[in-house]
Amino acid sequence: MRTYLAFCKKEFQENWRTYRLLSMIAVFVALGIMNPLTAKLIPTLLNGMDMGGVILEMPDPVALDSWAQYFSNISQLGMLALIIVFCGLTANEFAKGTLINVLTKGLTRHTVILAKFTVASLIWTLSYLIAFGVTWAYTIYFWGYETLPHIVVTFISPWVFGLLMIGCLMLGGIAMSGIYGALLAAGGVVIVLNLLNLSPAVHRYNPVTLAGGTYGLLAGTSTPGDFIPALWICAGATVAIVVGCVLTFDRKQL
Amino acid sequence: MDILRIENLSKSFGKHQVIDGISMSIPEGSVFGFIGENGAGKTTTMKMALGLLSPDAGEIFVLEEKVRFGMTKTNRHVGYLPDVPQFYPFMRPREYLRFCGEIVGLSPAQITRRSQELLDLVGLGETNKRIGTFSRGMKQRLGVAQALINSPKLLICDEPTSALDPVGRKEVLDILRQISSTTTVIFSTHVLSDVERICDRAAVLHQGHIVLEGTLSELKDRHGSSGLAVEFSHPSDTHRFCELVPQRLIAQRTETEVTLSTTDEADERRVLKLLAKHDILPVKFEAIAPSVENLYLEAVS
Amino acid sequence: MNSLMDLLPVIIPLAIIQVGLMVAALIHILTHSSYKMGNRILWIVVVIVVNTIGPILYFVLGRSDEERS
Repeated sequence: MRTYLAFCKKEFQENWRTYRLLSMIAVFVALGIMNPLTAKLIPTLLNGMDMGGVILEMPDPVALDSWAQYFSNISQLGMLALIIVFCGLTANEFAKGTLINVLTKGLTRHTVILAKFTVASLIWTLSYLIAFGVTWAYTIYFWGYETLPHIVVTFISPWVFGLLMIGCLMLGGIAMSGIYGALLAAGGVVIVLNLLNLSPAVHRYNPVTLAGGTYGLLAGTSTPGDFIPALWICAGATVAIVVGCVLTFDRKQL
Repeated sequence: MDILRIENLSKSFGKHQVIDGISMSIPEGSVFGFIGENGAGKTTTMKMALGLLSPDAGEIFVLEEKVRFGMTKTNRHVGYLPDVPQFYPFMRPREYLRFCGEIVGLSPAQITRRSQELLDLVGLGETNKRIGTFSRGMKQRLGVAQALINSPKLLICDEPTSALDPVGRKEVLDILRQISSTTTVIFSTHVLSDVERICDRAAVLHQGHIVLEGTLSELKDRHGSSGLAVEFSHPSDTHRFCELVPQRLIAQRTETEVTLSTTDEADERRVLKLLAKHDILPVKFEAIAPSVENLYLEAVS
Repeated sequence: MNSLMDLLPVIIPLAIIQVGLMVAALIHILTHSSYKMGNRILWIVVVIVVNTIGPILYFVLGRSDEERS
């Protein structure tokens, strides 16, 4: 516990001093602001265009449009930022050999994994909450307060998918000792999951559906049951990957 | 008690047999030079002693406690200075030592005191910039400090001087000598003059085997002197002496001085008797001690 | 129909963040001479052209830890 807290402290200090924490927060605040703004601007922009004589009459934007932007941006820009910021989470330590000093001082290897996962997850959670809070605040400001149906399942899903991404980045970084390994693992998982999604039967079970798919719950086109299996699978896979990180690291010769 | 004992240790990477059944023991309280050319397997051996690599065969004991791969308890007695110590560049030296101190379980008060002692020892007491801006030599010295944070009984240093300029090298050797009163120091090197300067024991690793091991004086004694230097006051004495002495012994000859390469003491006694018998009086008769370099070259040839 | 005035409470903070990130990254690039990868011109272009993500790409992948100050 003592060494775990010491390593967590080091991780926080690292994320702070290497501008990673600030980058994450800035990106997710910006992302939160962009959603209602884009929703507001799209009809204005399209209405102003002359589509070859056809006059597009866009309906006035509604709160739901803002949330549509939210899920679209989180699943793309948000995940991209998460991957960029944490691609070196484990990879940098191995590429540079910075763990040798502390491991020979009696720091256990699983402590390193757990502390890294904890701190990265906390930063991701904070960033995600900020994006959600900012979008919600502006959406209320523009369109008034409306209750969000199935709020827990709807908004926890992209967050859980983010945790899976952090796990993949860590495992790739350990297994291949470099940033490219981390990017390959996270990118590979996203590509494979997206390919699997070509078959509609898999949607219910596929974690990648969680990244942006739960918009359907707000729009009323899906039910929570459509996402629960994927949520369990995604959470299970994340736990399995973290365990995998520990096992891989324990066997790794340094 | 031996601080480190290695028994029949073997390790290969793929088909390349790096360490082939070596055994050695290092008693407490020595400065031990671990000599070998680049790629001889010095780092590999040290990493196995630290549980960072798993041996293919054999066992390693620190203070009679077995070293296990992965998380080894024996590391509580050990400090390690890697050949190129890597730090978190965003930390300051004191912060790094605090982090290390927290990991080994020192109290905040102990950490503050120990950090100050160690930073003063390695000459970084006044430095408060981030480690990312440190020179190579400063990092090496901070490396010594972090390795000593838990007051280890054994300090293992991997080529601590190889990448340093002469000033940096002298600083690090001085620090190692200074701590050797309380800590057994093992350091690997291919720089033989470093061994001569601070070690009292040494072993030579060559092609996966220990080809030479013992205290420096033992090794030198065992190999006897490697020659004699005999000096005369007059060239005619030199001339007479060279006629009498077996030609195979003469290594070098000047007007008044002859250097003989002898292989054992019998040769040296014979030369002395020869001088007495023919009543030649040398002004100097001196045994040339073998250098570590001689020993090393002899051992690996 | 939106007037620009209605959108100011959204546009101003967004602009502050995006311009802020860009300026912070540009200052860092110009006051340092070595980078983990890439060169000064590349990073200036990336930071200016790629909105929001450009500056964080620089901070994570380009910023050097080893800079002597």
